Order: sequence, then structure tokens, then C-alpha cells
Amino acid sequence: MKQLFAEIFIWWHGQTMGTRLFTALNGKFVGEDDAGNKYYVSKKDPKKRWVTYNGPAEASAIQAGWHGWMHGRTDVPPTEQNYQAKAWEKPHHENLTGTAAAYRPKGSLLEDGKRPNVTGDYDAWSPE
Amino acid sequence: MANIKVDGQEIEVPDHYTLMQACEEAGAEVPRFCYHERLSVAGNCRMCLVEVKGGPPKPAASCAMSVRDLRPGPNGEAPEVFTNTPMVKKAREGVMEFLLINHPLDCPICDQAGECDLQDQAMAYGVDSSRYQENKRAVEDKYIGPLVKTIMTRCIHCTRCVRFTTEVAGISELGLIGRGEDAEITTYLEQAMTSELQGNVIDLCPVGALTSKPYEFTARPWELNKTESIDVMDAVGSNIRVDSRGREVMRIMPRINEAVNEEWISDKTRFIWDGLKSQRLDKPYVKKSKKLQAASWNDAFAAVSRAVKKTSADKIGAIAGDLAGVEEMFALKGIMEQLGVNNLDCRPAGSALEPSKGRASYILNAGIAGIEDADAILIVGSNPRKEAAIVNARIRKAWRASGVPIAVVGDQDDLKFDYEYLGKGVESLAAVAAGDVEFAKTLANAERPMIIVGEGALTGTAGKDVLALASSIAKGSGALSADWNGFAVLHNAAARVGGLDVGFVPAKGGLDRAGMDKAAAGGDLDVVFLLGADDIDMEAYKDAFVVYIGSHGDVGAHAADVILPGVTYTEKSATYVNTAGLVQQTTRAVFGPGDAKEDWAILRALSAHLGEALPYDNLNQLRGALYAQHPHFADIEAPAQEDAKAIEKLAKVPAKIKKAALSTPINDFYLTNPIARASAVMAECSQLAAGGVNEAAE
Repeated sequence: MKQLFAEIFIWWHGQTMGTRLFTALNGKFVGEDDAGNKYYVSKKDPKKRWVTYNGPAEASAIQAGWHGWMHGRTDVPPTEQNYQAKAWEKPHHENLTGTAAAYRPKGSLLEDGKRPNVTGDYDAWSPE
Repeated sequence: MANIKVDGQEIEVPDHYTLMQACEEAGAEVPRFCYHERLSVAGNCRMCLVEVKGGPPKPAASCAMSVRDLRPGPNGEAPEVFTNTPMVKKAREGVMEFLLINHPLDCPICDQAGECDLQDQAMAYGVDSSRYQENKRAVEDKYIGPLVKTIMTRCIHCTRCVRFTTEVAGISELGLIGRGEDAEITTYLEQAMTSELQGNVIDLCPVGALTSKPYEFTARPWELNKTESIDVMDAVGSNIRVDSRGREVMRIMPRINEAVNEEWISDKTRFIWDGLKSQRLDKPYVKKSKKLQAASWNDAFAAVSRAVKKTSADKIGAIAGDLAGVEEMFALKGIMEQLGVNNLDCRPAGSALEPSKGRASYILNAGIAGIEDADAILIVGSNPRKEAAIVNARIRKAWRASGVPIAVVGDQDDLKFDYEYLGKGVESLAAVAAGDVEFAKTLANAERPMIIVGEGALTGTAGKDVLALASSIAKGSGALSADWNGFAVLHNAAARVGGLDVGFVPAKGGLDRAGMDKAAAGGDLDVVFLLGADDIDMEAYKDAFVVYIGSHGDVGAHAADVILPGVTYTEKSATYVNTAGLVQQTTRAVFGPGDAKEDWAILRALSAHLGEALPYDNLNQLRGALYAQHPHFADIEAPAQEDAKAIEKLAKVPAKIKKAALSTPINDFYLTNPIARASAVMAECSQLAAGGVNEAAE
């Protein structure tokens, strides 16, 4: 229900009503990734594939396993591959550039952390 | 003298010279790793090979062969040595190739790179490729303390560090075990070295096997600005080179001065620099409603001026601390004279030394190098190892060279040389003066006896007695002859002799430090100026208005009502006089932090607020005024020659001997001044010396 209201009132963030309608009529559900993004393929044309994002539309949120399928590099979706993640693999997350969580180097004015010591730094005494 | 021909050039050299010295005399450079002028000859690196004509048909190690070992030619021609023949070059290339078999090629990550003997000499004698397919030898790194970092794979077994620690420092904690490829330099027990001269092995190491731990990976030698300066950690006035980058002191290295520190410096001198950047006073503070608050310079001066104007001259005092330069003491004395204040003191510990008794009565008259000429030494109430480690190394050098008899009155500590212990108190000193002990005869029979009196022994109630007794021993044993003055006061602070020279002592009717303490506690002292004086009892000055001029937030700053931030010795050009009366000047290497100003400039600005401005506007004018009043300050680096009559006048055996123990005032070598107390490295060393931390590296 919440999703439905979001599609009506803040449609520019993600899936629109049009997409919902199109998916219901033409789409065949293929699978869902760990982040909750749903992947569909057209009933008529198996080369036509699309995703509805869980949350704002952000292309880099497509996980590595689904990326190949989405871009037509492979026709086997990860749901049929039975891939086991390695211990050293970090969970996928989208590109954060442009958001508040973007990476900032140490010493950046936008990062409240302290910059590392440089030549000429000293510790001042204070009475407390 | 012997004649010798070096590369065809005939020269005359003393016959005890080694071939290497003769070659250097002739201007031929001889590469070397193990040979060092101030250490015994080991002859194990073989880099200094030369060709000797008429000798055996093999190259000779020039550091270990003496000129008198060579035979003259059949018709009495001078023996001939060659340093530039193809045979010599090939021999040295062979040695270098052997050294490089196992030396890692890690110059890019080595702290020694850029000032490495092996790197430099490989430019001349190295070959461009290796003939070895085998793996290089790897050696485990050793833990030898918090100051010296070891990367033992780089070691080329020159044994300079072993010879230094055994010969100069007097500790047998470093050695070479194993032989051939298995040879390793080690402490064996993986313990920290216990010498306060251990940092010198870093300079001695010709490669990067022993490097400075606090300096590791912080800078490269070619990016540093080198400033020649003077150390103020003790009264020796060691000659140092301050290496800085931008506004930061990166490290401190020794400079050669035969009259002072040869080429050694103590660990406190070398590793103090991290104290220069912590706990710094970088803005003026004024106490408002019982709390120190940051203020502008004008507000701070106004606060001082208000406090001074509220009171009268007899209720004002000034005390100069251990690190004050001559210029600022002169300036502060100038202000005090203008205000009519008589209460001045530059002896926070309260010693009995007074400039009115003559300069000879408070300096080490024979000079630090003169210790080597002494043929009997009496040490009174001093632990030279803690008070002036470099002086202790000189005494040890004299003791090793000639076995000079040494006796000690005072603490019975491990001084790294053998001595006769005469007792702890003043009465033992009186016994020497009266000739009741055997050592009195040794002193009397000696041609150049030396009596070293620690500044600590001259403090307290018995201070005057000790001075009188020591003077009478000097007089009685003939230490005060025309060409030898064996009376020696060993100070423990860099500022002291300069302060006495400039007359920073109570003027007529004035109070000394102890008097000021009492007056302040009784409410008779309203304003006190502390020029970097931290080692006094601040409790007494609780109710007084304390003006602290200094560089670090230490005891003095915490007790202050107004703080005027000054700078340290690396940040100003100031004159210091060492314990031997040698006048030396520091040079500014970096600028002070924040709003801190040079101390004399602070006092000059303050004088304008207090009334009449001091009659100088820059350092040169100040020095002009100083030299006009005290001409000897102009003779920089001139050895002191003082009239021994001053000491003879003091020689008087007191009627009643007070019972007082004579001991060194320094409990902790590493934490003697505000800069050292701000240094994390010194704190670690101090903890280690006290037995607090006793763990290996891993």
C-alpha cells in the first residue's frame, strides 16, 4: 500500500504507475536479489528485460550477479546458477557518489574527522 | 717523525700514525666502514686496502698498519703507499662485492638512504651487477630499546656500535656472536640498552642497520634544513645540528666540537624534539574569575602592568629558570632595574654560587676537554652521568686512557668508571680537606688535580660550607697554579652560568629564591616574574600574582595569573654559557607556534607597558647593550680564562661542619625540564629506566 502511494505522489523516485501497469501486463517475474530488486522479462520478447528497484531508481544498485543477465551478456539468471558467495566477498552496494554517504578523504571539510598530522602541527597547551 | 710517500708525494708524519692517517694527511681519500677516529681499530671491514711498495704482494688494511711498520727502500728511500692503483681499486671492488652479497637492496625504504656510507662508497667501488644466484642471508631484528631501531639484515658487521658501547658508553650490552655468515650483532638478552649515550650508535652505524626509532620514516635527509645550534638540555652546551622541515624540527644531530662534546650527544639532547611540539603555549592567557582565559598580547601586558602598579618595588620578584638564554635574562634584569626591584634570582635550586665572588668560582675552569689532562679527580656531590652525560664520557675517557685516580663524595652510583668512595656527607669532604684520607695524598701529589663540585652539593644549608671546603681542597692540593685551574663546578642547567655572568642574582638588600618563597607565603611578595622557572615550589606563590614567560605548559603555567608564550631554544637565537664558561649561541631553526614570541621581544614589549621602554628595538641592539656591560659575551666560543685568586679567597675551612648528605638533585635523567616532560619519547625512556616497562618488541 505504501509503495502504491509512493508511486502516485513521489513517482519520480522509482517505478511509476506506467511501469507497474506494463509489468503486470507484459512482464514475467524472473527473480529477486538480496536487496529486494525485482527482475522481469517480457512475455513476448525474451531479450527485453527490466528491473523494478526496491527504493529509489539507481542503476548501480543492480547486483553483480544480475548485471550480466540484465545487460544480455548471459541468458541464465543468477537464480538458476546456484552461485555461492566467497568468504571475502563484500555485500554489494550502490554507488554513493552525490549522496551524503559519499566517500570523503580524511581532512575534507565535509568530513568532521580530524586530518592526519602534517609538518608544522603542534599540540597547544590549554589550562583545563 | 717519519717520511712516507703517498701516491708519489713525499710527506712527513708522526711515526705513530696509521697508513690511513698518513694518506689523509697527503690528501688521499681512503674509504672505510669499521674505522672510526674515536674508537679502537678493528680492521675487519677491509675497505681501506692500499698497496704498499716493497711489502708483501697483497693489499694492506691501512687503518691497522702503522707508518713505522713499513720498511724503507734499499737505499733508504721513504716507504711508498699507493691509494689509486688498479690493484687497489680491484681489491676494494672485491671487498664491496663481498659486503653486498648479503646486504639487501632496500635503499628506497631505508631511513639511512642519502646519508649511507655503503651507498656512497658503492658509487665509487660497487659493480653494477651481482654474480650471486643464492638467496641473501636474513637476520632477525633485535630489540635494543625504544630509541634505536634495528634492521639487522642490513648489518655489515663493522662492530662500531659494539666498540662505542663498550669503550665510550661503558656498557657491555651489545656484542657480536657467531662467526662468518652466522655473525650477528645482538644484546643476546633482548633488553633495552641502559646507556644515556646510546643514540650515538645511530650516527656511527655506516649503514641502515641501526636507525632512530622516533624518526623512522618521517623524513629524508635531503629535504631537511640543517641549522647549527647549541643544546640546552644540560649545562654541557653540546653542539648540535637541528634538522627541520617547514615549521617542524624533524631530528637533532651532533656537531663536532672537541672542546665540548667531541662528536657525541646524550639521548636527552638527541630525542627531545617531540617535546618541542606538545604542550606548547601558543597564545597569551590572563586569569579572569579564577580561570585562565586566552587573551591578546595587549590585554596580557595591561594585566601585568595593573598588578605591578598596584604594588611597590620591594614586593616584586623575578626568577629565571633552567632554559633561559642570556638575552632574556638581561632584558628581564633591565626591567627589574627600571622598577627598582632587588629580588632577582637565576638559581631556582638555591646554590651558594655568586658572581660577586669572581667568575672562576662558578665555572668548570679547566674546560671539559681539560678533564683529560687531570691526573687526579675528586667528584663532590654530583652524578655526572645524570647531570652531564657528555662530561661523564670525558671522565671515562680520561680514566680509560691514563687510569686517573677518581674519588667520589656523595651518591655511590654506577658512573661507568672505577672510583674510590669516600662517603656521603660534608664530613667526608672535610676529612679530605683535613688530609685524613688516603685520597688527599693522591690529590696533593698530583700535578693537575681536579675537584668537580656538582651544583646540587652547593644547595641547601651546607652549600656555603661545601664551596669553602672544595676551594680549600683545590688550594691545598695545588690545583690553582699558574697554568692549571682544577676547580670545577658542574652545573646542571644550561641557563645557570649565563645567569650568573649577567648578574641575575639579588641586588643589594634583595631576596634570593628561598627568601622570595618565604615572602610570598607570608604575603610580602605581590608579583613574581618566572622566566621559564618550573622547578620551584609553586605552592608558596599561591597568593602572589605570577607572570609566567615560557614555552611549555608545565608547573609554572598552571600556577600563573598571566602567561606570556615564549619560544624554545630551536626557535630563537640566544646566548648560552656552558658549565666551562664557554659562550655559545643558538640559531633559529624554525618559528615559534601560534602567537608565541621570542622571549627578549616579549620583555621589550612589556617594558613599554610598565613605564620606560628598554633601550633596544632588535636583537643586535640588545646584544650591543649586553656586550657593553659584559664584554666577555662577545667572545663567542673563546675558552674561559679566569683568575684563580677568586677561589683562593673562598678557601676557608668552616669551624663547624654541618651534617648534610651530598647528592645529585636529578632523580630522573630523562625528565629534567619542561621540554623533556612534554616529550613522549622521554617519558617512555624514563619509565624504562625506572624498571616500569620491561618487554621485548613483540
